[in-house]
Formats: sequence, C-alpha cells, structure tokens
Amino acid sequence: MLDIIRFVISAALTLAGLFCLLSGVVGVYKFRYALSRVHAAALLDTVGILLMLLGVIVATGFTVASLKMLVVIAFLWLTSPVAGHLIGRLEVTINDELSRDADVLDQDYVEQEKVPETTTTPADDTQEEAQ
Amino acid sequence: MAKIRPDYETSWFGRLMHWLENGSTALDDAMTDEMDAHSRDHLVDSEHHHATQEHALEERRHAALEREQRMYSSLHQWASTKGSRLMRWVYIVASVVMCVGIIALLLNTAANLPPYGDPDNPVNNEVSAHYITQGQAETGAVNIVAGMILDYRAFDTLGESNVLFIAAVTVLVLLRLAPSRDGKPTTEMLEAEADDRLYEPKHDMILQHQANLLVPLILLFGIYVVMNGHISPGGGFSGGAIMGAGLILYLNAFGFRKTERFFTFRTFQIVSLMALAFYACSKAYSFFTGANHLPSIFSPGTPGMLFSAGLIPYLNIAVGLVVCCTMYAFYTLFRKGDM
Repeated sequence: MLDIIRFVISAALTLAGLFCLLSGVVGVYKFRYALSRVHAAALLDTVGILLMLLGVIVATGFTVASLKMLVVIAFLWLTSPVAGHLIGRLEVTINDELSRDADVLDQDYVEQEKVPETTTTPADDTQEEAQ
Repeated sequence: MAKIRPDYETSWFGRLMHWLENGSTALDDAMTDEMDAHSRDHLVDSEHHHATQEHALEERRHAALEREQRMYSSLHQWASTKGSRLMRWVYIVASVVMCVGIIALLLNTAANLPPYGDPDNPVNNEVSAHYITQGQAETGAVNIVAGMILDYRAFDTLGESNVLFIAAVTVLVLLRLAPSRDGKPTTEMLEAEADDRLYEPKHDMILQHQANLLVPLILLFGIYVVMNGHISPGGGFSGGAIMGAGLILYLNAFGFRKTERFFTFRTFQIVSLMALAFYACSKAYSFFTGANHLPSIFSPGTPGMLFSAGLIPYLNIAVGLVVCCTMYAFYTLFRKGDM
C-alpha cells in the first residue's frame, strides 16, 4: 500500500515537471521576442527540474543519492535563474530599440545600462596601484 | 621545350585555354575571326574592297553580340523556371537516396554486430581480461579506466593532451591581438577592450554574489575530481573542465581586471608547458625502466589511498592543469583576443 502511494506521488511529481518543461519549450518556440522567450525558458526550467528531481527522490527514498539530488537542485536553483537574468540584461544592453520591442517602465535604467564604461589604459592602472 | 603550333591561337585547344584563363565574350570571338580574315586577306588587300569589308566585319560583330545575349537570356530563363524546379527535384531525390543509403548501411552494420554480452565476442580477449584481473595490482589504481589511460596507454593520453594544447596554440595564432614591440597595446587591442565592455552587462550584483558562493565550490570540486581520478570515476580531463568552467564564471562576474592578477598569458604559457613537459618526462622515465626491467622508484602503493598508484595522481594533475588552462584560454581568446 505504501509502495503504491509512493509510486503515485513520484509519478505525479515527474509528470508535473515534464508538463512544466514542455510548456517552457512551447513558450520558447511560440513567443516572438527574446525577453518573452527568456521568461518562459528560465521560469519553467527551474520549476520543471525541481519537480522532476523531487519525483526521483520520492521514488528512491532517503539515500545518499537523494541527498546528492538535493545538492543538484540547490545548484540549479542558484545558476539557472542567474543565467536567465543575465541573458535578459544582455538584451537590454545591446538592443538599441528596446521600446519598440517591449514596454519600458524605467527608461533611466535602460539609458544608464547603455553608457559604455570608461575604458582605462594600463598606464592608469599602474598609477592607481602606485598611489 | 614545347613547340607551339603556328595556328595555336585559332585552334580549338588554344581557344579553350584562352577561355579558361580570361573568359571569353562573343566580341572576342568576332575579333579573332577578324584577325583570321585579315591574315588570310592581307596579301590581296585592295583599296576599294576595304570599306565593304569593314562593314561586313561590323555586322558580324553585332550578330555575335546579339547571339551571345540571346543565349544568356534563354539560359537565365531556363535556370529560373525549369532549371530551379529540376534542381529541387534533384536535391530531393539525392537527399532521399543518401539518407536511405546511410540508414541501410548502418542497419546492415547493426544487424551484423556480435550479440551483446556474449563471452565469445572479439572485445573479450586476453587484453581486457588482463586489465580487469591484474590492473589494480599492477597500477595500484582502483579506477580501472584511470589505470588504463594513464598507465598502460599513457602515451595515447599524452597525445590527447598535446591535441588540446595544439588547438589552443592554433586559436592563439589566429585570434590573439598581440601588443606592439614596445609593449604598448595596439589600437586593435583597445578597440577589442572597448567592445568587450560595451556589449556586456556591467558589474552585475546578482552574478557577483552567486559567483562568490559558487566559484570556490566549483574549483574545490574540480580539484577533488582530479585528485581522486585513480580512486573514483573522474580524472584529469573532467576535473580540468570543471576548474576551467569555474575560472570562466569568475571572469564573467568580476571582469578581466580581477583575473589578470592571477592568470595572464604568461601563466598560461608556463602552466601548460610545465605540465606537458612533466608528463612527457615522467612517462619517458617509466617507459625506460619498464622496457629495461629496471626497478622504478614509483610503486603502486596501497590501492585506494590518495597517494597511491605510482605516477597516476601526478599525471592526472598535469592533464587537469592543461585542460583547465586550455578551456580558459579558448574563452578569453574568442571573447577579447587576449588574456
């Protein structure tokens, strides 16, 4: 009886994770603009992998392998949203006509993002270090 | 010395060679004909024939030009209507034929493979049996794969490390923007630097916090994988790739000015060359002693300990360093052209 309950829970979690990943894929192909696609990919990627790995943990029970799975979840939750954030920020940085493609709420931030950092020559560096 | 026929210019071979070298137009052909006629007629050239002759030649040139234009336009029409349709069919038929051919070839190969797991298979010979039964005692490595690639077949692994190194050197030759002779950065380098800072999100706080947390963990995990290459699955190649990824993450979070403090082009040169030279020298030593049945100072030790398995941990470190430096060098060279 316990086995059946465990199987049902893990199957439900895995299927939910698969559904999330599938909707992410559909979003990546369906949306027109890069930021929308990043939104779909990053969001559903995170949730989908969490649900699938939780399903696997429930299926295997509490072992060393499932502890490692938890570490994998922590790693992916640290890295995947940051990657999505960086891709979105790159789009804001390099798209010259952002307001044509998306609704810009904070124009000042966008302008500030586009200002190139003042390039310093190696001579300046040595002076700084000398001081 | 080759003789040239007197009528080489007007022979079909001469015209073919001329056409191959310079291309040809109808006007050229007409001019050639004209010269031909001139050379035939110049003995009997007379004044009152001259004008009519000029006229006839002019007409012939005109006709030749028109003929050529007609030919080109009909060719163009054919290519844009019937020709493209024909070529599409040719493409479809050729792709189907090639796909079916490759599938049939692969299926035929798969059908003729020996059954999986059969003890009589050709792979189950005395070599693999020797590796499995004697490998741990002879090399001291619990991980049989590490024992194979870094002891029995270490020469092959040296070649693989060299392949990586040569690839990095090739990318260096192609992409590196070297400073000028007096050590000052060239305008190309400054442009590359400006581009690099322009097309990149700057000082991302989220990425920096995440990198602060993750980079030490990633580097530690890479070192663990390298050092335990002879005990558990892993080794120089995978561990070096993990360490290189950690370095790349650090670079992306904090920029070149931070990484230049510990990793410059000089570091890459020194580390790669020292690692490869150490690998070559130590394997030369063990080949020499092994071939001459001399006692080696590297003993297999106790299998399962960190410092066991003779040379394997040190060779793993060398391979890991080469792979790490190569990964990082590839990234920086493709991004900025320098390290």
